[in-house]
Amino acid sequence: MREFSISAGGITVAGATTLIFVNPASAPNPNLEFLRFWIGQSANATSAQQRAQLETQVTAFPTLTSATPTKLKPSDPNASVITGGTAGAAGTAGTNASAEGAGSKTAVWDDAFNVLNGWLHVPTPAETRVMPAGFASGLGLFLPVAPATLTNWAFGLVFREV
Amino acid sequence: MSGDDAHFLIGRALGQAWKRENVTESYVVIPPALIITDSDGAAFTLGTEYDVHMQFNVLRNDVDTGEFAQRIEYRRGQPVRIYGRPYGVKSFSRSRRHFI
Repeated sequence: MREFSISAGGITVAGATTLIFVNPASAPNPNLEFLRFWIGQSANATSAQQRAQLETQVTAFPTLTSATPTKLKPSDPNASVITGGTAGAAGTAGTNASAEGAGSKTAVWDDAFNVLNGWLHVPTPAETRVMPAGFASGLGLFLPVAPATLTNWAFGLVFREV
Repeated sequence: MSGDDAHFLIGRALGQAWKRENVTESYVVIPPALIITDSDGAAFTLGTEYDVHMQFNVLRNDVDTGEFAQRIEYRRGQPVRIYGRPYGVKSFSRSRRHFI
């Protein structure tokens, strides 16, 4: 199995923000099975509830900071089919959107958490989300409402190429 | 550059420092929570290694404790507890070294 992570820490978000956006590559390439998501705030002493959402988005995609997936098995000679990109295009990933893009978002998983405790979503095998190669949408980890404190966010996800 | 409040609880998880003014509230459970801060300021979370029961490794301040668990639970006044197979439940030791 080839698993990869994308994460970022100490991030200042703009408001209601796509934290990570991953867009599957064109077919025939591996599908992406998402195994884990997390969001936390590393330096905030104020208790507050915060919504979190997984969403799919069609073009136009968000404008992002490029993020290259990291191998969970460092000795794996193969890099991920997903590369870093700033435009959310097919086969790319990025973090901390500076613009959300005009493409419509579809919420596929809604939750809420306390920022002091963070949010960890580990789907059971039957619950994992698979984004097929060539799919018109990318998958976003999204804060649908602006957090009370915008600084020091940490977040990430793990996916497997299947 | 200003220093941190001396009373901050500062743990480490996911490769960075996690700062809290207070320990985690009672009955917070990972998952769905991401972080538990105990009275030492240590940050507990689940890692990405897993065993045959699909339990994840337990990290304390980003150091593997050698345990796998389905859940990590905190109640104020008590040590952090983990739940998993085949052991059932274990508590973090007073020596801050093991789950027993």
